[in-house]
Amino acid sequence: MEPAAFPLKTILDRHLPNGGFCEHPGGAYRTDSTAWAVLCLKAYNLYPEVVSSARQVLCKAQLPDGNIPLTPDYPEAYWPTAIAAMALADTPEFSSYHEKTINFLLNSKGNIFEKEADSPVGHDTTIEGWSWIQGTHSWVEPTAMAIRALCVAGEPYHERTIQGVLLLLDRQLPNGGWNYGNTTVYGKTLKPIPTSSGIALWALAGLPARDKVEMSIKYLSEQLPLLRTPNSIAWAILGLRAWGITTQKSDELISASLQQQGRYSPYGTSQLSVLLAAAICKRQGFCL
Amino acid sequence: MTYQASDRKRFVFTRREFLWCLSGGIFLGLGGHQLIRYTTRQQADVFIAKAADYRIDLGRIISQGLHELGISPQEIRGKRILLKPNLVEVSSGHAHINTHPLVIRGAIEAFLRLGAAAVFVGEGPAHVTDTFMVVEETGLGDVLFEDKIRFVDLNYDDLFDLTNQTGFNTLSRLTFPATLKKVDWIVSVAKMKTHHWAGVTLSMKNLFGVMPGSVYGWPKNVLHYRGISQSIVDINTTLRPHFAIVDGITGMQGDGPIMGDPIHPGVLVMGRSLPAVDATCCRIMGVDPHKIDYLRVAAKHLGTIVESDIHQRGEMINGVYTPFTLAPKT
Repeated sequence: MEPAAFPLKTILDRHLPNGGFCEHPGGAYRTDSTAWAVLCLKAYNLYPEVVSSARQVLCKAQLPDGNIPLTPDYPEAYWPTAIAAMALADTPEFSSYHEKTINFLLNSKGNIFEKEADSPVGHDTTIEGWSWIQGTHSWVEPTAMAIRALCVAGEPYHERTIQGVLLLLDRQLPNGGWNYGNTTVYGKTLKPIPTSSGIALWALAGLPARDKVEMSIKYLSEQLPLLRTPNSIAWAILGLRAWGITTQKSDELISASLQQQGRYSPYGTSQLSVLLAAAICKRQGFCL
Repeated sequence: MTYQASDRKRFVFTRREFLWCLSGGIFLGLGGHQLIRYTTRQQADVFIAKAADYRIDLGRIISQGLHELGISPQEIRGKRILLKPNLVEVSSGHAHINTHPLVIRGAIEAFLRLGAAAVFVGEGPAHVTDTFMVVEETGLGDVLFEDKIRFVDLNYDDLFDLTNQTGFNTLSRLTFPATLKKVDWIVSVAKMKTHHWAGVTLSMKNLFGVMPGSVYGWPKNVLHYRGISQSIVDINTTLRPHFAIVDGITGMQGDGPIMGDPIHPGVLVMGRSLPAVDATCCRIMGVDPHKIDYLRVAAKHLGTIVESDIHQRGEMINGVYTPFTLAPKT
């Protein structure tokens, strides 16, 4: 049996009658679940009719300004737009929708502000990146996703992409790795998180010089064998792979993680999709 | 569960007292007004138990607390209970950051013993998008697997909205995970910690963790922008959680909620009234609850924080008093 057959079926079981995907069995449409499912199925080059119907739903969910939010009820939750942009890329049929998502991303930014002299936070709060939710500060993961979406769209040298890269480098922790986006608070250095670190490295692939992220590559390489959960494993593999590092242990970690599914909760569609994309990444050199 | 329908404010003003006041109204005159004010003061019961470490039978202690607080099998039988721990970050070997998994196990045992139809555990960490990682690294995953308890990642759940009942943070509606609509009781199983922005983080602040990251971000920056203390009160007045258990066996002092140092009060604190539980925890920690913004405001909407109105059951505060070093800037 194809190693991914069972989990792919799990993802397909969450394909909704309207063409989109839910995050959990019996759940409602979500843009992030739908976009990640598209990216996963596209990576396997399977179920083209499902991929097409899911893309159509993403287009239907697009607001006039190009935003494809979490669900139509929460337009301020714009962070899935970057994932949707990647899911709509390179398809002539949806090129106008894709272009609108990119324009939306170029026009969206997290809040910036000048720090007070006694500010508790250590990072540069004036660099423009992307937030999870409109009207809030920029953080690591949404900035990384937007950078990647812009690179996929052929905009690696756009001023916003460059600013995003600067933000990620500024938020990199002194000993390597990233967390959600605070480096120090009240003078104390916070700890890195594997998922955030993997996503940041994946987004930065080929943009800054390698020596700028060498400590983070080292951190994540050391963490990978210790990881057990799907999101962390997937993003660590994708992040390292983006910098040319592969490990024989990847398959073993992915299999072990899949076997753990349902231990106390089913995995979400997004997590499963990224995990399976990471699995095929090694075999096909595909990195989302 | 019925939101807003069950006002659990407890009054000592009984029907008999009311009739007595009414019949004696002329006699009492203005003095009667004062009596009514006195007799309608809110009261709350809070149970404090000593628990030297996590290896003792915490299920028995929590069961005893539920009994002392008048929670009977009749009240719990057939109900679906959601336990909301405080899982912040990965912390192998650091028992002072997250609610200890054995406290969760104790609560599971206690509610099942009272006849709960099901117990779930749900959390939506503020800093980590891989919720399962926190569940596994804290040891909670093993407990849930062994006890066959379902976990819900509240950050990625389906959603529903409620009207913000107090509106202090100016949001007209609050969005919650759909699981909260499917349970009968919400139990905040918090950690006893200082917090560099809120002063303390106890059972009420712990409810930040039910707010889905998919709508509020990681960290839940929308709520930071709107005011942490304001949001704490709004979440609690809108959601009306049913019970609180605070893990003060090992707590955190100093730069909480993540970077502080361990401290060992050796207590579990529990009760139906979250403001009263948090106020009692503050007193154990050597913090004046009236100086904590969210508690001062919550007292007007959710229940008393006045020491003389809180009936301490189990241990007395003096017997477990463990002053915490406060976080910077608080």
